[in-house]
Amino acid sequence: MSKIFYDHLIIFVDLHSKVKEIAEIEEERHELYKIIDEIIHHRVLGRILDALPKDHHEDFIDRFHREPHSEELIVYLNEKTPEEIDIENHIREDIEKLEQELLEELADL
Amino acid sequence: MPAQEESNETKRESLRDRLKVKNLKESSRLLTKHPHIRPILDKRKIDIGKIRDRSARLLGTSVATGMFLFAPHISFDYLPTPDELMEKISRPVNNIETDINTDHNVLTATFSSVLPKNQRPLSRNEEKVLEQVIQQITGINARATLEGEHLNTSYGYIGAEQHLRRFPGDTLGQHGEGQILKEGMAPGLGAWGYFANSKGEMTEELEEIERWYAVVQTLYLPDWNTRQPYLKNWYKYRKVLIVNTDNGNAVVASIADSGPAAWTGKHFGGSPEVMDHLGGPRYKKGPVIVFFVDDPKNEIPLGPVEYGKIIPRLAEDG
Repeated sequence: MSKIFYDHLIIFVDLHSKVKEIAEIEEERHELYKIIDEIIHHRVLGRILDALPKDHHEDFIDRFHREPHSEELIVYLNEKTPEEIDIENHIREDIEKLEQELLEELADL
Repeated sequence: MPAQEESNETKRESLRDRLKVKNLKESSRLLTKHPHIRPILDKRKIDIGKIRDRSARLLGTSVATGMFLFAPHISFDYLPTPDELMEKISRPVNNIETDINTDHNVLTATFSSVLPKNQRPLSRNEEKVLEQVIQQITGINARATLEGEHLNTSYGYIGAEQHLRRFPGDTLGQHGEGQILKEGMAPGLGAWGYFANSKGEMTEELEEIERWYAVVQTLYLPDWNTRQPYLKNWYKYRKVLIVNTDNGNAVVASIADSGPAAWTGKHFGGSPEVMDHLGGPRYKKGPVIVFFVDDPKNEIPLGPVEYGKIIPRLAEDG
């Protein structure tokens, strides 16, 4: 069982099809799925830290490390980030860009 | 190596290399933009890229020990018991058609009462209630945990998959006709490769397995890499019960592939036939529960669960 609190914001349908098309064997697919997963985690954390005031960074990283699945993290982030930022929309916007970047990167394959 | 295979191999290597470079760039960008987090990550030995592995370990431990990490504010005292749920809708007698509709209603009413609003792994208590109601209604002994194994999650979204190549030279046209072929053939093989080495070695049983196949996220199991080859063998063609929580339609399917990736918004996959039965020809994605079928004598057939038919048959057998 695994879950990250922002999983519901990430839906890469076209990228999934691309990987399945190229990687025919299960083990290869798994490896590629995990690299993409890592890319997403780096990108999302950066996006969150961009919005979250610096004095909360350590506390957030602690909470995230302790309970990466916790839906309470969204509540925490919405409380600590400036009022005009909806953290889910903030993450979603950047993640949509990320899928496009990855698709462009792999377009000729 | 034939030219086609070489070209595919080159593509795979190129794909892997480009993704690895992108990953390094993203990691580096994060630490360049927020350099103050490096000592925080180092001190706590946190590898952000591997956070899903950590989640899997934490949640895997919580299942094993019975501690539930989700939504701790929920009191399970408010969960109705299976008997209470069954009593909510009284069963008409001697009317098979109405009984079947009522069974669907009981299941969907149970899902409304028990399932959380957002998809998440279920607690053991929630799973127990569902197991008992499903058994009472369908006669199928469905279990979230079987022989100590538990899926990545028992409640989530299922997505449409394509037909799988069953043997070398298999073609889409050999998988049926009409609407069911619309999804096409998957470019790769299932998690266990071909179902048979040749068309001549195909059996009716293997045809049924491909027809009614399910996809589950074995790749995210916390012990997937450490308990091989046991787990791979255990999951191969393992029967699962998939129930559409919106309408109560249910299918017994066989696990034949691993996935989908966590970043697809889906947790399970179903063959074109599975998806058609769960929600009709346009059904591409929807919420389901997936439990293992405890069927040591291999008595439960793959395919749609026809309400009202399984109970009498098992009762006669028993």
